[in-house]
Amino acid sequence: MRIDYNIKDKFDFGLFLPALVLLGFGLAAIYSSTVNNILAHENFQRQIVWGVIALILFFITYSLPTNFFKTIAIPGYLISLGLLLAVLVIGKHVSGSKSWIMIGSMGFQPSELAKIGTILAIAAYLSRNNSNIDSFKDILVTLAIGITPILLILLEPDMGTSIVFIGIILMMFFWKGISSFSLFVVLSPAFVAIAAIFGLIYFILALILVLVFLFIFKRNLFFSASIFAFNLSSGFFADYIFRALSPHQQKRIQSFLDPMADPLGSGYNTIQAKVAIGSGGLTGKGFLAGNQTQLQFIPEQWTDFAYCVIGEEFGFIGSIIVLGIFLFLFLRILKLTHNTKDEFLSLVSIGILSVYLVHFIINLGMVVGILPVIGIPLPFISYGGSSLLLNIFMLGILANFYRTRKNYT
Amino acid sequence: MKTDNFGSLKRKTIIYFVIVTSVIILTGRLFQMQILHRVDYEIKSSDNSIKSLELEPLRGVFYDRNYKVLVSNIPAYTLRITPAYYDTSLNKIIETVIDAESGYIKNLLYLNRIYSKYLAIKIRRDIDFKTVAWLEENSEHLPGVDYIIEMQRYYPAGVMPSHAFGYTKEISPDHLEKEKDNYKLGDYVGHNGLEKTYEKLLRGTKGYHYVLVDSRRKQIGKYLNGADDVLPIKGNDLVLGIEASTQKVAEEEFTGKRGALVAIDPTSGEIIAMVSSPSYDLNQFSFFTSKDYLENVYKDPEKPLFNRATMSVNPPGSTIKMLEAITALDLGLINTSYTIFCGGGFTYGRFFKCHGSHGTVNVVTAIEKSCNTFFYKLIYKIGMDRWKEYATRFGLGQKTSIDITEEVSGFIPDENYYKKRYGENWPKSIMASLGIGQGEVSVTSLQLAQYVALIANNGKMKTPHFVRGYIENESGKLVSFDYKEINTNISQAAFDVVKKGMFLVVNGHGTATHIRLPDIEIAGKTGTAQNPHGEDHAWFVGFAPYENPQIAVAVLVENVGFGGTHAAPIAKKVIQTYLNSFKGEGKTLKEEIAILKNN
Repeated sequence: MRIDYNIKDKFDFGLFLPALVLLGFGLAAIYSSTVNNILAHENFQRQIVWGVIALILFFITYSLPTNFFKTIAIPGYLISLGLLLAVLVIGKHVSGSKSWIMIGSMGFQPSELAKIGTILAIAAYLSRNNSNIDSFKDILVTLAIGITPILLILLEPDMGTSIVFIGIILMMFFWKGISSFSLFVVLSPAFVAIAAIFGLIYFILALILVLVFLFIFKRNLFFSASIFAFNLSSGFFADYIFRALSPHQQKRIQSFLDPMADPLGSGYNTIQAKVAIGSGGLTGKGFLAGNQTQLQFIPEQWTDFAYCVIGEEFGFIGSIIVLGIFLFLFLRILKLTHNTKDEFLSLVSIGILSVYLVHFIINLGMVVGILPVIGIPLPFISYGGSSLLLNIFMLGILANFYRTRKNYT
Repeated sequence: MKTDNFGSLKRKTIIYFVIVTSVIILTGRLFQMQILHRVDYEIKSSDNSIKSLELEPLRGVFYDRNYKVLVSNIPAYTLRITPAYYDTSLNKIIETVIDAESGYIKNLLYLNRIYSKYLAIKIRRDIDFKTVAWLEENSEHLPGVDYIIEMQRYYPAGVMPSHAFGYTKEISPDHLEKEKDNYKLGDYVGHNGLEKTYEKLLRGTKGYHYVLVDSRRKQIGKYLNGADDVLPIKGNDLVLGIEASTQKVAEEEFTGKRGALVAIDPTSGEIIAMVSSPSYDLNQFSFFTSKDYLENVYKDPEKPLFNRATMSVNPPGSTIKMLEAITALDLGLINTSYTIFCGGGFTYGRFFKCHGSHGTVNVVTAIEKSCNTFFYKLIYKIGMDRWKEYATRFGLGQKTSIDITEEVSGFIPDENYYKKRYGENWPKSIMASLGIGQGEVSVTSLQLAQYVALIANNGKMKTPHFVRGYIENESGKLVSFDYKEINTNISQAAFDVVKKGMFLVVNGHGTATHIRLPDIEIAGKTGTAQNPHGEDHAWFVGFAPYENPQIAVAVLVENVGFGGTHAAPIAKKVIQTYLNSFKGEGKTLKEEIAILKNN
């Protein structure tokens, strides 16, 4: 009994077991969607190998001294930036993006590593003793840390992953305690810039909205005016950059910002995904018996659309079991984050949660057809070595924090 | 400055709310899709789904040098079973209809159990029309059973240099792994011979046809009315150097015999005919190969699958004598006035026999009479390494790099080889045997054909090859391949002398006078390869016409004894047929029409 207590005290099964079950669901989905696909049938075995490597990585990460993560924060960040630069030079094109570095026949995506690198760096910066989240300097430096990898990833170009970084920055700002006015100052230029790309009318409407907010916040006139001027210039700047791009790049950005611009390209996937899930019914069609999956109506279903397999073959029951496990995992992480009094550790935890959460919401929103098609994988479920390694590595960090939590409260 | 806001309960609650809300929204959406609208989606799932169907391109055909079709395609029926709809109680009746052993279908279904039940399994290819009619009549009672039409290889000219053509076979998993982009499981690829070498040209490009299918994969119409369809592109047709009537005669001449024949056009290096006997029936390999046939072919002690023309090596016997004569002449070691006296043999350590007492012989008569004594002596004049060097110039003991992959190199020894084996003082008496092409010297029939073609063409020729070029699909024009030229760099005078000797072999008092023809001047040389395992093998190499050689031949007949008797007549027939095929050049009207139709 005592031994059992000790294990639970040092090891959070509430983090580990849900991830393991999700991994199992993922393997089932990958197996089912690739078994008939001669081009991908070995992906199942590959994912198992990745899974084993990831679990080893988990226990290594779990056993490291917690201070280690503080030590590697800045060098880790710089290394991941270096790799993001490297991928632009030596990277391999996979479905339109230059996001893979190949080592022999193995490939990995530096953008995955950059996620945790950025989280650690922002956490290290914001947990300084004399930090003030509402100060101009702190906001600017944090944004610089976060936006540098975004720019490099946009060059690949990989829109989906960039959004994850935006999620990380916002969530960490929020957790650190940013005021709603500062948040407004951070968000409004981005909002105006996007509106400017859509056209003049949207640009003007966005500026009017900014004015309304400025009026609500009631800061002094000079400050408000300079914020407005900044918004205005960000709009012009975005428009200028956009015009400088080549037409096919413009088109890519437009279709990313406006999913309706490309109804057939991504629409086909969404329709097939919805049909797959919807036709699953309450109990599903049974493992390996989903015709949408088995007839390969959804291209590369084992990656971003892996959840469809669960929806089609395991039905509503299987689908909500998976949702339930995610819910449990997220709340568990949130609780751990809240209970961690050390600012650095707490910020890292919330950063990690934000990565999982953004992936979860965008991926599932896309699969069930309520969000545009943005290709990012579902954590622990979708096929892919880099993302599985990163997700499990981050889980290892959380488990590590849990192990040593009493030293930091 | 620390703010109280850091990780506050309020902020935690907001995040908590975001998480829970998103899960609730997703659950609601799933409930809406999977419970409320399930039926709609189910209908869609079984209704309108777009599926791309691969359209197989026609494989390129083979033409002979006169554009006669040697290899083409005909449709054949393939029976398939889709396990999801199939009732295994039908096994017995279908097995009876396709004449398969009991348990055949059960076994195939078992082997394919790891794949989706919705994928059709090919049960038997090349089913006959009676079976197709039966399937059509009973389709209602045969759920999950259907047939498709696939193309199979067909050999309309009635000639079958099986080892050269090769056959296509279902792609192997290893091969598929390497070329995923071009093939899928069940595709046929060239397995050997020309089908393998020219696979990339022959296979063409797959097309795609988009159809709307229901979940049973039943087609319910075209997608976008076929606007997005991609038509397959036919494979390129190959033009071979083979001459159909010559090939046919060569094959007939070998009925009941074991051996090989290679005929080369010395002016171009093109193979005119190639036989390896016994052979196998390509029709049996073109699609469905019956177990019985395979077993017979594999177990046959005469190894019909083995290409004797390019993979079987034998000592060249007396056919190698021209090599020595050329070498000695080219090096200036002898000239036509150099003579020796043949008293019936030669002593070097021991006595080496000649097959007669030829008296005083010069190099021309030595070839004409095949005098061993002359060549026993000559090889000592030349020496091992120079002998090997000249043999190499003619490509003996090396692969010719002909355009099929099944080829071996044979062996020509040099001084080092014997030093390694017997030490510095190796017994030089070995050389005497080598001088008459016996002992540790081995060549393929193809190499000997190349050697005699090079002699015929005075030391220069393109690398031997089957395929002249391919026909471009759009223009219908022949695109010729470029082949490397072999140049022996040997003086013309040496060739003139040796060819004179070869002329006399047939037209003087030589060893093959019985194949003399009134209208065609054949030059040649007989040979006998000593065979320690049984009766000797007979060789004949030759070319014709003497003045302006158009064909060079090497013939090997196994286990029959003297070459003049058994191999030379075959060569004569082949030479005659080929040179007669020129008469009246051009093609008959009927042939012209056939060509137009085929293009």
